[in-house]
Amino acid sequence: MKPWKYVISAWMTLVITGGFLINIPDIPILEQTARNLFFHVPMWTTMFSMFLISFWFSIKYLNNFEREADIKASSAASVGMVFGICGLLTGSLWARFTWGSWWTFAEPKMNLAALAMMIYVAYFVLRSAFDDEEKRAKLSAVYNIFAVTTIPFLLYVVPRKLTSLHPGADGNPAFSEITSPELRYILYPAMIGFIAFAYWIYTIIRRYKTVQYNIHNS
Amino acid sequence: MQEDTLATVDTLTQTYSDKWSGTTGVEEANAFVQLMSSNELIYVVLGVTLIIWFVLLFFLFRVDQKVSRLEEEIKSQ
Repeated sequence: MKPWKYVISAWMTLVITGGFLINIPDIPILEQTARNLFFHVPMWTTMFSMFLISFWFSIKYLNNFEREADIKASSAASVGMVFGICGLLTGSLWARFTWGSWWTFAEPKMNLAALAMMIYVAYFVLRSAFDDEEKRAKLSAVYNIFAVTTIPFLLYVVPRKLTSLHPGADGNPAFSEITSPELRYILYPAMIGFIAFAYWIYTIIRRYKTVQYNIHNS
Repeated sequence: MQEDTLATVDTLTQTYSDKWSGTTGVEEANAFVQLMSSNELIYVVLGVTLIIWFVLLFFLFRVDQKVSRLEEEIKSQ
């Protein structure tokens, strides 16, 4: 087992412990759920990081047409999806007890995040539609390049301009201006930790798919 | 602490206050139990979360090792 995996394990254990135990500012309505910042928000940064990895290998695949790149792209996309689903579920739970509803269609970031997930569901549907592996790899790589470019717009650019219940929207001060520094001592390490953790899961999926591919083609 | 909201109506205390002994007798207990009983029991929530985290982590390590073994098997063929 490589040492960086132990580093991630220890790092994330510290992040979780710190997230529960640090003193946080007294924010009405949010109360203790302000700690969700450490767990809910990194889900989205992690999802986007995984989609960027996926994007990178899709471009690579279209350059060299090597099967390895396609395996990497699809593995990263699937790990990104898992974190996106966690982001939606945790956001919904958090919303119930702070905004007062599990889901609201008045909230653009929430709905556009769901839309972003659906765009990636389509990626996997597209993949499953081909028996010919080369065709599958090529078309899904092209689709993935389109899919990933929608993410920053759906999650950051468009919600920033609309009325939103999320902080940092509708011309309100951005996240960096309204979040107290104490929260950031955990938030940024949490983002790094979750991304590294997701990368670890990605390597396992990638290796599994490589083994699977080698067995099927031997 | 939490009062007068619908979500926080306490129906448990009435039913279970005879049966649940809670954190009584903490003063005589060891340091670990005293720590866990402090701060409105937040350490218990942390404990539950960490147990889940460690079990999942253990599982991930195992899957990782299993994949490594498969890789070696394929390499040696």
